[in-house]
Amino acid sequence: MLAEDCVLWGFAALFILVPLASFLVYGFFFVVDNSVVYRPTLANFVEILSNDSYRTTFFKTLRMALEVSAINLVLGYATAYFIWLRPPAWRNFLVIALAVPLLMSYIIKIYAMRGVLGTNGLLNSVLLALGIVDEPVSALLFNLTAVRITLSVVLLPFMVLPIYISLERIPNSVLNAAADLGAGELQTFARVVLPLSLPGGIVGAMFTFVLASGDFLAPELVGGIEGFTYGRLIFSQFGLAFNWPLGAALSILLMIVALAVIYIARRLGNPRWQR
Amino acid sequence: MKRLRLLDVSLASVSFLVYLALYLPILLVFVLSFFSMRRGRVRWDTFSFEWYARLFSNESLGEALLNSIIVGVTAIIAATVIATLAALHVNARPSSRSARMLEYVIFLPFLLPPIITGLSLLIYFREIGVSRGLATIIVGHAVFVLAIIYRIILTRLNALSRSLVEAAQDLGASRLQTFRFIILPNLRMPLLTAGILAFALSFDETMITLFLSGTDGTLPVRLYAMMRVGFTPEINALITLILGFSIVLTVVFAFAWRRSGGTDNNRITRI
Repeated sequence: MLAEDCVLWGFAALFILVPLASFLVYGFFFVVDNSVVYRPTLANFVEILSNDSYRTTFFKTLRMALEVSAINLVLGYATAYFIWLRPPAWRNFLVIALAVPLLMSYIIKIYAMRGVLGTNGLLNSVLLALGIVDEPVSALLFNLTAVRITLSVVLLPFMVLPIYISLERIPNSVLNAAADLGAGELQTFARVVLPLSLPGGIVGAMFTFVLASGDFLAPELVGGIEGFTYGRLIFSQFGLAFNWPLGAALSILLMIVALAVIYIARRLGNPRWQR
Repeated sequence: MKRLRLLDVSLASVSFLVYLALYLPILLVFVLSFFSMRRGRVRWDTFSFEWYARLFSNESLGEALLNSIIVGVTAIIAATVIATLAALHVNARPSSRSARMLEYVIFLPFLLPPIITGLSLLIYFREIGVSRGLATIIVGHAVFVLAIIYRIILTRLNALSRSLVEAAQDLGASRLQTFRFIILPNLRMPLLTAGILAFALSFDETMITLFLSGTDGTLPVRLYAMMRVGFTPEINALITLILGFSIVLTVVFAFAWRRSGGTDNNRITRI
């Protein structure tokens, strides 16, 4: 028993807790002449909060992540619901088809989105062919909209799958009971199916928000200058700027937001009547 | 049941668009692995296996692929051992505070943005004087996939009847024997599911890895570096091959899973 505790907590401490703690502590250090000074100060946080461009980047990124989560919640719910209404054989196929894109390299997917969104890209060709636009739209790439679209596409499976799982867990007896009691289709949906499947949507929205707010790859590859997000700001501190303590301090703010979102999601996604 | 037609049609069209959006990038990569492109247009008269042929002479990609496999396999073996221990531990004492805490800690690296897991390990390794390399990447991946393996195994353990374990112990089996002959046979499918899922996650992990890799990068890190200096079309060939391989693996696995009659898969919604 004791040995087991030691191994598990030892691993957790060595590779999860102490690294997280050292990152938290680092946020209070500072850099002089490219080397870290190990003396605690609030200078990083004062700078972040007083620097306009850091603050705007922070809120711009959170807003973008929120928008992506909202769009994906709607698209994801509709898709999960559609899958759920199919006959069983179809369902399995559609779920697997949903998981397959997850197997393709994240980097490549983002890169391919350039080919889809670019001036000469697939989307423009389609729009031109359909006569929706007269000339290629260049506003689709290297801006924040491109980041939104790209993140939305790559994160969609993380929304559809949890919603579908919670839809599938609704017992048939519950649906039959609703029908027996004379509920119409819309009523059944609004008062039975939706409340029972919302926890899945909350989990999906949480995943989407946390992943979108911290992502730096999609913004870097399709975002251009306008798509300079908080994740890129953090990552740049560990590259050229070489200010690890500032990078850590910036990440602490991101972590606080992420933990708050996870906490809220746990609360909302696990309502008392389901426990 | 009578359904509202309009609702049906709009549901179907939204779903269609979602699937289309998911598959467009894949389709593009697939097409470009056979054809070349000029000024943003695919030239349909240029079908060839040239990019596939060139792929095999690209040593840096091969090396990166090998690194990815080494990292994935090692990280998953390590994470599976820890995750199984943790799941047994938590399953045996569901109301213990320490066990609940342990569960939270295990979930942290999976739930926090990858950028935070990556940079905290980077800072940690630097402070204890470990230089970046495959070993640091392996730790990062093991910590990252731990939660998903743990969750899948715990779900199965919780579904197992307590009386099985009690019966074994009444008959005089030691803890190790109980695990070996009673619990382990029941974990075969969940372990396989978890292993494959975790490998897929590890194989594609980019953000944590970027922080932890020195000169030896995994495939995504290599691709990231290549993308900044210019992308060669043999990448499309490589990705098509990997994707084809993964699809075959998924289909084979899905059939195996269905035949084994498993229904309680990873309950992501219960995290």
